[in-house]
Amino acid sequence: MEKVRHFSVLGDPCQNLQSPNQILTKMTQDIEMKEQLVAHSDSISSVSPSTLQHLMDIYGLIEIGAYAREVRRIVRAIRWTIQLRKKLSATVISSFLDFALVPGSEIHSRLSSYLPKATNPGDKHDMEVDTATSAIQTPAKISPEIEIYCYLLVLIFLIDEKKYNEAKACSTASIARMKSFNRRTVDILASRLYFYYSLSYELTGHLAEIRGNLLMLHRTATLRHDELGQETLLNLLLRNYLHYNLYDQAEKLRSRAPRFEAHSNQQFCRYLFYLGKIRTIQLEYTDAKESLLQAARKAPMSALGFRVQCTKWAVIVRLLLGEIPERTVFMQKGMEKTLHPYFELTNAVRIGDLELFKAVADKFSDTFSADRTNNLIIRLRHNVIRTGLRNISISYSRISLADIARKLRLDSSNPVADAESIVAKAIRDGAVDATLDHANGWMVSKETGDIYSTTEPQIAFNSRIAFCLNMHNEAVRALRFPPNSHKEKESAEKRRERQQQEQELAKHIAEEDEDDF
Amino acid sequence: MDLKFMEVSQAFDRFKVAFSRKDFDTCRNLLSQLKVSLTTFTSLPPLLEETPNAIRELTLARDIYEHAVFLSVKTEDQESFERDFSQLKPYYTDVSNRIPPSSQMNPILGLNLLRLLVQNRIAEFHTELELLPSDAFKNLCIKHAVELEQSFMEGAYNRVLNARQTVPHETYSYFMDLLAKTVRDEIAGCSEKAYESLSVKDTRQMLMFSSDKELEEYIREERPEWEIKGGVVFFLRTKESIPCKEIPSLQLINQTLSYARELERIV
Repeated sequence: MEKVRHFSVLGDPCQNLQSPNQILTKMTQDIEMKEQLVAHSDSISSVSPSTLQHLMDIYGLIEIGAYAREVRRIVRAIRWTIQLRKKLSATVISSFLDFALVPGSEIHSRLSSYLPKATNPGDKHDMEVDTATSAIQTPAKISPEIEIYCYLLVLIFLIDEKKYNEAKACSTASIARMKSFNRRTVDILASRLYFYYSLSYELTGHLAEIRGNLLMLHRTATLRHDELGQETLLNLLLRNYLHYNLYDQAEKLRSRAPRFEAHSNQQFCRYLFYLGKIRTIQLEYTDAKESLLQAARKAPMSALGFRVQCTKWAVIVRLLLGEIPERTVFMQKGMEKTLHPYFELTNAVRIGDLELFKAVADKFSDTFSADRTNNLIIRLRHNVIRTGLRNISISYSRISLADIARKLRLDSSNPVADAESIVAKAIRDGAVDATLDHANGWMVSKETGDIYSTTEPQIAFNSRIAFCLNMHNEAVRALRFPPNSHKEKESAEKRRERQQQEQELAKHIAEEDEDDF
Repeated sequence: MDLKFMEVSQAFDRFKVAFSRKDFDTCRNLLSQLKVSLTTFTSLPPLLEETPNAIRELTLARDIYEHAVFLSVKTEDQESFERDFSQLKPYYTDVSNRIPPSSQMNPILGLNLLRLLVQNRIAEFHTELELLPSDAFKNLCIKHAVELEQSFMEGAYNRVLNARQTVPHETYSYFMDLLAKTVRDEIAGCSEKAYESLSVKDTRQMLMFSSDKELEEYIREERPEWEIKGGVVFFLRTKESIPCKEIPSLQLINQTLSYARELERIV
């Protein structure tokens, strides 16, 4: 590999360097860096040169990864880029583009046109740096990974700067370019690109336009067995459909798309969340609850917004199932204020008071419509009545239907008849254990027998045991073991050691034998 | 193109005339002819080309399908309703920004919701609800369907039956009749669990029968386990309170075996 530049061996992008010229000197690299650290305790140089330095480190990393077809390096490169995200500026990127791509090439001009012209006086320092870097030799042929990486970099920068229209144009161009490549190393970068592509369209409100494109990309990814790409694209498509409330189509896609072991934790979390939403709308609350709670659990702690959304939907699903979430759910760190409307809602459902429920629903109706949970809240009315009924039937051994209607505050023209049919249905569904007496117009609750003499405890225990065992199995499966390459090396060494030991032992035994003689 | 358009419009006018005369056979024939001729227009979905005549063709096609939907309600054909409605839906969703909104849209959407409710496809009912914009809920037809579903879920069946009187559109009556039948079955099911016995008069009132004879027929056909003795209907109590001294051995064996298996797996 003839590379004139020597990328930082220490691998720590957080160190301060004076000027990129020094990286040309292989021999004095380490010594000089240490000198810099001693001489410049506080950084006189602005942040930008080191950002440029990091970008060039990343460039080198990608080159090696592309050459050696090692996907891990590309992953690491992306991770570094995300760390650098906040420090990017237009000049840095344009100087990087000058460095990485041949200036004057079609790609370079296209990408530069998206960047705003740098007018920052504080960046004057970079100008000197620029002239220095241009002296560095640029590679003649640009690998596809570098191209796609440049697109990605520009895209991230544009989105962070809130220039969504340019981001849209840039991402469309990049997707068009990407279709011509078919390499595993590009796939990682590609999946990131898809994500930002969809994001830029969503932020400009044109999400419906890219649906056809996403579907086509998904087909291609499936053909090429690009599992990470498939996962990402499936999630993006589901997000697209759910954005427009097309739950039917989303479910059709999800049920037909090929499924496999999740590669990325974040994508898996997103998938679970979308699955939970679809199931909720389709009235399959048990499945929905499982998916949503799992998504909230697996999400990283820093993804607060995502976890808040999951928790909101999980709360509603649990209410619809008839169970009341505990107070601790609402008291989690950072979520208290956003979950406040849902907390009041839970309160209303728990008490079983219809009027309170209606008041809460009206009070927070904007929040609920912003969260798109409005229709679900309407469905909750039925649960409120049920809970109220259950409370009544437990507390009274006999109560007249007129009183029930008054307690439930059913606002209707004929409350007694309504109450009667509601109670009858509740009895049939098994929510309430009682009988009705039509002639006298009252409800008589049944005696609750001794539960312990039935098999109920066994059934409850069984479900808990099954859950714990399941959890244990999943944890075992999720354990990661070190990659095999280390094992082989170790076993070679160990083998040598072992052989040595055996030889010594053999010699020892032979000596002993001799002694015996 | 214009010539074709004229032909189709004329055929459509004839269809409308036959419809108002309640001559459903002619309507059906004309409708199939119209549908075939509609396929020649390229500006309709799924092609959606931009021809100069597009707006008029789209509006005409939508009117034709709306009338087809109403026809299927009048002829009490649920399958053709479903088919025509699914052909009509793209006109409401995809091209809604190109042609002026139709006055029949909300009644037809309400009709579809009602149909799903009657056929007990509640999941699809809710999925359709999600697709509606929020201001559609203020519309009378749709509000009617939504409230109906609520009452049905809660179990306030008398409200459902009373709603029969307040249909917002005359085409709703067909589905309301079907709904009444479903409701009656539900009420019967609930009553037999909730009441020990009920006088004949009350039963008849609850099940909305107009005479004792009908009640007796209903019981004989649908509910043979009910008994009528001396003016009182006895619902046979299912023996739910079996002391059940027997142990569900098979289930316990299965459970214990699975525990043993899982425990062995723990390394």
